[in-house]
Amino acid sequence: MSYVAVKGGSRAIGAAKSLLQEMISPAWKLDNNNLRDGFSFAIDRIMGEGSLYSPDLALEAFKRAGGDVMDASIYLRAHRSSCQRIGCADMVAGSRMRLVRRISSTFKEIIGGQILGPSSDYEIRLLGRNNHNTASVADDPEYPAKGGTRTDECGDFYFGSALQPLRNDNLIKLLPNHEDKPHDVTRIFPLPPYPRSAIMQIMARGETGAMLAFSYTSMRGYGDVHPTIGDLRLGYLEVTFTHPFTGGTAVIGEIKTTACETVGSFIRDPADGTMRLTTGYGFCFGYNETKAISMSILDLAMNYPGFTIGGSQVAANPEMIIHHVDAIESMGFANHFKLPHYVTFQADLQVYQKARRQEEKKNE
Amino acid sequence: MNKRIFAFIDEDAKKEIRRAILKAVAIPGYTIPFASREMPITRGWGTGGLQITLSTLVEADTLKVIDQGCDGSVNAVTMRNFITSVTDVATTTITGEASIIQTRHRIPETPLTEDQILVFQVPYPEVLTTVEPDTAAQKVMHANHDYGKMWVLLYEDTAQFGDSRISHRYPVEINGVYLMDPSPIPKYDIPRLHNNSALMLFGAGREKRIYAIPPYTSVQPLKFEDREFSRETFPGIRCERCGAAGVFFDQVYLDDGIHYYCSDTDFCDRNVAGER
Repeated sequence: MSYVAVKGGSRAIGAAKSLLQEMISPAWKLDNNNLRDGFSFAIDRIMGEGSLYSPDLALEAFKRAGGDVMDASIYLRAHRSSCQRIGCADMVAGSRMRLVRRISSTFKEIIGGQILGPSSDYEIRLLGRNNHNTASVADDPEYPAKGGTRTDECGDFYFGSALQPLRNDNLIKLLPNHEDKPHDVTRIFPLPPYPRSAIMQIMARGETGAMLAFSYTSMRGYGDVHPTIGDLRLGYLEVTFTHPFTGGTAVIGEIKTTACETVGSFIRDPADGTMRLTTGYGFCFGYNETKAISMSILDLAMNYPGFTIGGSQVAANPEMIIHHVDAIESMGFANHFKLPHYVTFQADLQVYQKARRQEEKKNE
Repeated sequence: MNKRIFAFIDEDAKKEIRRAILKAVAIPGYTIPFASREMPITRGWGTGGLQITLSTLVEADTLKVIDQGCDGSVNAVTMRNFITSVTDVATTTITGEASIIQTRHRIPETPLTEDQILVFQVPYPEVLTTVEPDTAAQKVMHANHDYGKMWVLLYEDTAQFGDSRISHRYPVEINGVYLMDPSPIPKYDIPRLHNNSALMLFGAGREKRIYAIPPYTSVQPLKFEDREFSRETFPGIRCERCGAAGVFFDQVYLDDGIHYYCSDTDFCDRNVAGER
């Protein structure tokens, strides 16, 4: 008789863990620097979605998760929970970014110029050796731009948003700010009506795929957001910290970031009745243009739901976005269905059988 | 990982969670929002219960962790191993010996005492989610004691199927005030919430809510006056291992047919040991 083991689970669980460790063990043989810098987009996503800026910890998580980016980000989130917070850094402004790349599709020419920087936008996606993926700038005397060899060394450009001239002319609607200081979703989860800063924080930690999917609904029919990218920028932001007792301010490092401002349609500004253009903003750790663009579109959709036509407002509903873009939550819950559910299923079966008996009685 | 911290979570977070627990005890059945820290186990796998347990445990406690009534179930084992690795508290499988019991989907068969805390892992803390997904609207409904949509759901099910289709997570009214989701325990366990001697705490990590049923609190399932609340029954069934009857059973399909065993494995063990 094979009674469902009461205490036999531990050994099987231990074995399952060992099998996984064996399967992904080659990861530990990979060179740290090459892996961290060569797979920087993966590391960036782990830091962004894991909500902790540390390339080295992200690398360790990447290895532990066998290359599963979503799983790796859980390691970083969990690590945060064991760290005492000593304070909050000063606020950063995207306009103060040391630029590595900055483009705008709203204007042909912008102040500071279009800086293409390192980008896959111009890649021909062909496998194997071919004419498209061999470097062609070896003879270009102006490459690399500032004499550095690594992308994080070559830029020394600081420019404000490409939309600044429009702002100066008062053509862009400013969203009212009712918050004295930003909400902190890691300490107090917001209740409706959700402050914009809270929604922005949740989206900045959101999963790239989820953000993309929600923003895509708005782009292709369940909404009318067809934005123009006003300013998309990649680069480094200095982080400063003010000492709680001395009041002195110190630079504690730089973070690699992506920011995006998109321009939507125009709207009558309730402030003075003038027609003004609307904008949305996206921001995240690391280089992740897809996510920053998606976030700016969602910001636009949520603040100007009037642009939504037909169907239900998926992307324009903060309730929909705030609870469904976090991968730590969604992937965790999707996977929890693997846990034993035999007690609830037993209860389901009894209710089902009762309903069937009722049906049979009716048919007699 | 910072191994020096007792019970993993940083002290500020523990304080916040304890405050939420106190608030929850003060307003039985009301769901208290909390920030909910990420745990080293995946969200949706009991991180809410885990945060409550870690914030409540002290060195002198004895811990029991069950899933589906079983101490050996995969998630119970993982959870217990993690908790002991960060606290060194003693563990037990014997219900009567435990001071804190973390559970998923069951209430132990052995009656609990005033010295015990039962911590439930909760997937859906908001009882109204089934009929109203909007958080703001849910709050208004609770404030107005407006559970009309739940009554309509109950009526429609009863009209079509003879009874509610809700088999687990059956809505309960706490202390005559708030309607509450009791976590996915079977209907069998619902009457056992009523006037229980133990403090019952509910943690939803992913949904970021903590709530409580203090000892000796009235807990009534939502039901029509002229209808019986029907629990799962197992007529004529006895546990093939210990011979118990009238408890919640696991139904197991094997080559030679269907077998029944106690869902509460400790209860079964105690019977086999002849302690009852």
